[in-house]
Amino acid sequence: MNLDNVVSVRKTKTIYRDGDRCIKMFEPGYSKADILNEALNQARVEETGFDIPAIIEVTTHDGQWAIVSEFIEGETLQDLMDAHPEKMDEYLELFVDLQIKMHSLKSPSLNKLKDKMNRKMGEANIDATTRYELRMRLASMPNHDKLCHGDFRPSNIIIDKEGVPHVIDWSHATQGNASADVARTYLLFCLKGNMPLAKKYLNMFCKKSNTARQYVEKWMPIVAASQSVKGNEAEREFLLSWVNVVEYE
Amino acid sequence: MKASTERTPIESVEALEAAIARVRKAQEIFATYTQEQVDKIFLAAATAANQARLPLAKMAVEETGMGVVEDKVIKNNYAAEHIYNAYKNTKTCGVIEEDKAYGTKKIAEPIGVVAAVIPTTNPTSTAIFKCLISLKTRNAIIISPHPRAKKCTAEAARIVLEAAVKAGAPEGIIEWIDTPTLDMTTLLMKEADIILATGGPGMVKSAYSSGKPALGVGAGNTPAIIDSTADIKLAVSSVIHSKTFDNGMICASEQSVIVLNDIYDEVKKEFAYRGCYFLNDEEKDKVRSTIIINGSVNAKIVGQPAPKIAEICGITVPEGTKILIGEVESVDISEEFAHEKLSPVLAMYHAESFDDAIGKAEHLIADGGFGHTSSVYLDAVTEREKIDRFASKMKTCRILVNTPASHGGIGDLYNFKLSPSLTLGCGSWGGNSVSENVGVKHLINIKTVAERRENMLWFRAPEKVYTKKGCLPVALDELKYVMQKKRCFIVTDSFLYHSGVTKSITDKLDELGIAHTTFFDVEPDPTLASAKAGAAAMTSFQPDCIIAIGGGSAMDAGKIMWVLYEHPDADFMDMAMRFIDIRKRVYTFPKMGEKAYFIAVPTSAGTGSEVTPFAVITDETTGIKYPLADYQLMPNMAIVDIDFHMTAPKGLTAASGIDAVTHALEAYASVMATDYTDSLAIGALKTIFEYLPRAYDNGLTDEEAREKMANAATMAGMAFANAFLGISHSLAHKLGAYHHIAHGVANALVIEDVMRYNASEAPQKMGTFSQYDHPNALHRYAEIADALNLGGNSDQEKLENLISAVHELKHRVGIKDTIAEYGVDEKKFLETLDEMTECAFDDQCTGANPRYPLISELKQIYLDAYYGGTFTEKAMPTCECTGK
Repeated sequence: MNLDNVVSVRKTKTIYRDGDRCIKMFEPGYSKADILNEALNQARVEETGFDIPAIIEVTTHDGQWAIVSEFIEGETLQDLMDAHPEKMDEYLELFVDLQIKMHSLKSPSLNKLKDKMNRKMGEANIDATTRYELRMRLASMPNHDKLCHGDFRPSNIIIDKEGVPHVIDWSHATQGNASADVARTYLLFCLKGNMPLAKKYLNMFCKKSNTARQYVEKWMPIVAASQSVKGNEAEREFLLSWVNVVEYE
Repeated sequence: MKASTERTPIESVEALEAAIARVRKAQEIFATYTQEQVDKIFLAAATAANQARLPLAKMAVEETGMGVVEDKVIKNNYAAEHIYNAYKNTKTCGVIEEDKAYGTKKIAEPIGVVAAVIPTTNPTSTAIFKCLISLKTRNAIIISPHPRAKKCTAEAARIVLEAAVKAGAPEGIIEWIDTPTLDMTTLLMKEADIILATGGPGMVKSAYSSGKPALGVGAGNTPAIIDSTADIKLAVSSVIHSKTFDNGMICASEQSVIVLNDIYDEVKKEFAYRGCYFLNDEEKDKVRSTIIINGSVNAKIVGQPAPKIAEICGITVPEGTKILIGEVESVDISEEFAHEKLSPVLAMYHAESFDDAIGKAEHLIADGGFGHTSSVYLDAVTEREKIDRFASKMKTCRILVNTPASHGGIGDLYNFKLSPSLTLGCGSWGGNSVSENVGVKHLINIKTVAERRENMLWFRAPEKVYTKKGCLPVALDELKYVMQKKRCFIVTDSFLYHSGVTKSITDKLDELGIAHTTFFDVEPDPTLASAKAGAAAMTSFQPDCIIAIGGGSAMDAGKIMWVLYEHPDADFMDMAMRFIDIRKRVYTFPKMGEKAYFIAVPTSAGTGSEVTPFAVITDETTGIKYPLADYQLMPNMAIVDIDFHMTAPKGLTAASGIDAVTHALEAYASVMATDYTDSLAIGALKTIFEYLPRAYDNGLTDEEAREKMANAATMAGMAFANAFLGISHSLAHKLGAYHHIAHGVANALVIEDVMRYNASEAPQKMGTFSQYDHPNALHRYAEIADALNLGGNSDQEKLENLISAVHELKHRVGIKDTIAEYGVDEKKFLETLDEMTECAFDDQCTGANPRYPLISELKQIYLDAYYGGTFTEKAMPTCECTGK
């Protein structure tokens, strides 16, 4: 395992390139279950035929867990967007089309999105009344089984040399309601502070997939609450403003 | 105080499960209470709730931080007083309705345990309401409060419970969850017998998906149109009154006003004059981004006063501001002001016309208020058409006119026929199972006890039946001197016309000065073509009187021409529609007799058509026979004058005579037979058995026999006109149609086997008619045998004697035994048999038969009639007790 070529460093993991292999090395103490789950998710999604890096092995190196998969040569869609703002519309369209394509796939063994959300509601630091409201809202949502990424954003998409997009980082993948996945992506755009782009994205998705905007909006308090679990203090106030809403009571 | 002190708080799923079991037991006891006991409890509970109106209101505002104490006092008081008043005299226990004549009784039973979900917006009043209607209906109730309002909701329930128990209700008949969680609410909804879910779409959806019947309601987005004809002062003050009520938290509250252009400025001025604040563009944007977040209402503004909301939005308005009004254009969901806002924030729209206003209102309702409430202000005296137009377009279950929507929607405050309720059904549009205001009737099961009753029967006959030899000229005098008829149309066949039989009629009409014409082209099975030709002749002649003279064919043809003359567009397919009960048939026969009076004059003794409401016509192009039956086809007058019978030939006399025998036999055995038809049938049979041989032998001279036969045939006609016939006629109709055997003969060929078939004491299926309580055809035939003095010691012997007597009579008048003997080719008979059998089964006469036939059984009877056999039943289990 050659760890000379560092591709990126994050808080709890480091990505290396070793020839045509990509090594995602986790910090010591990182949950073993989470790592195995991520690998399992990735393997399951691989079976759907969606363009994602294939898992090669899950291993340990000097006591650290690592997921080894194919290395995709290319640039992230985020980098492209940053480098060519004039082509933003084109990139956004590619982004939305890719997400819609993903939602058309099924992976029946993945965890259920609503289960995951329900768990997050329990972990979120919100008062009992709000939690009751959110759980009621979540319970009433339809039980779909579409492949959802859970962290679908331009930085998780690599465009290879042939221009083919590959989606990476499947640690949050679930099966469930596509609108929840979209609400989450919308939230990620908002958290980056780019509201016009967020709105453009949402409108484009709703138009292309013939989805009512209210339907996506219904998920927003839920995805905001789940995001608040790991969100930093700066984001928290913004997220809670999304959470603290009522349906007719 | 006992109930409250001993109560175990419900704070876990386990505690709730235990509570449900306890409450179920209490409800079982409550279910045995009488109306008096229940009404006493209802009164005590309503009184206690009424007295607690102020403390409960204060608690609710304090706990939820929403709404207005003074308004919540009204809501609490309303929930106690108006609900009590509306239902104090309503019967909800035991027998609530009885109709002895019809033999029905309605019994109200409780449903069991009610799961009640209570919202934060009306946490005490809705609790009072649901507890009271549950108590009134002997149900137990378990309340799931909203976590934000759990204390005040529980207190309201406790007050009602305490008073109810004091007045005699079982301990613990009302329960509540102290610390609500979704798991507990879901469990409660699954375990209860019915759910009263007042709440948001999520709650309502959970209720409906719990698998238990649910009365859920949902969001409203009430638009109010202010028309050019509206009383502006009334309209504006009503909207303000309603919108500020409890700071706009009532779900029926107005969310938008749509104002017609020509009065817009005046309305705006009035709103401002009465204390409303109009937001400028910058302020509107601030309000937009604050009140609605991602399509949902910001919890911070719900039920807050206008100045507080303004402050949250970062704008300053005068302290006394009642409502924040945003003048906006879009009714689309992307406009925040177009949403339900649960606060004193109101959208205001321009409308170019009333239709434009309706269009906007429709859109707003579709945005989030399907099924709830809509409102319009206009001149209700002059603008009835606008009210109708508005009502037809609104997909809402409450459509209010000149009424503040918050107060109006809950009923009994501004309209006193709209049921008071704090749970407003939104119909299928809102995903609800009810579309009205929920009340006690939704919390009871009604059992209907239905006792067997006899079906109503009547006896109908022509208004006049002239009898006695030589009565015809006397009857015709009446046409001129009583009825002032001027034009008479005669229908007959060519034989009667050419042999001069009709001349005595035309001579008499000439003498009376009544214009006449004669149609004499009637054939033996009259066709539609000839009926149409006759009707065309009628149309050009314009008679006010029709005389049909002849046998069944002429009289039937006359009836059909009469129909076509009076109703040229009548469809025979419709008129021939089969029925089970002539009074309940789908098709309504057109009214007859508007143009012409119908007189039937028989020239042979048998058909009975002169007194029956039946006629058969054949469409010669398709071969389809249309048997028409309706009392509209009953002749107005029958003239039974044997001067027209004397020359009837032997064969006709025999066939018609036997036809009359089968009429009487079938009418007597019919499931619809009555004492009236029985007497006529028996009387006819006695006469025919005595006089048919004489009329057959000496028809030309034996006037007594002719007269007896003529009257007997008409009497038999009256019997079957009211009791109907049976399968002998079903079989004979199709035998005639397929193999051209004269109607009377066809009946004669099957009647013996049919009687034996009908007489079974254990038929495969009996006829369906309320009065027909067991298979009794055997006994009925035995009664006929007795009336004819045929002897016999048992019903079975009597039946055999009757069949023998019929057999002998047939022989006596020259009728053969089998279809084969009438020259029907065996191969052809067998080829047509299945089709003919099915048609016979489908004949209108089948319905009144005492034994409901299987098609296979009818086929067997046909085969018996062809080859000469007797009907044999399938082997049946033997019964030791009777030795049968």
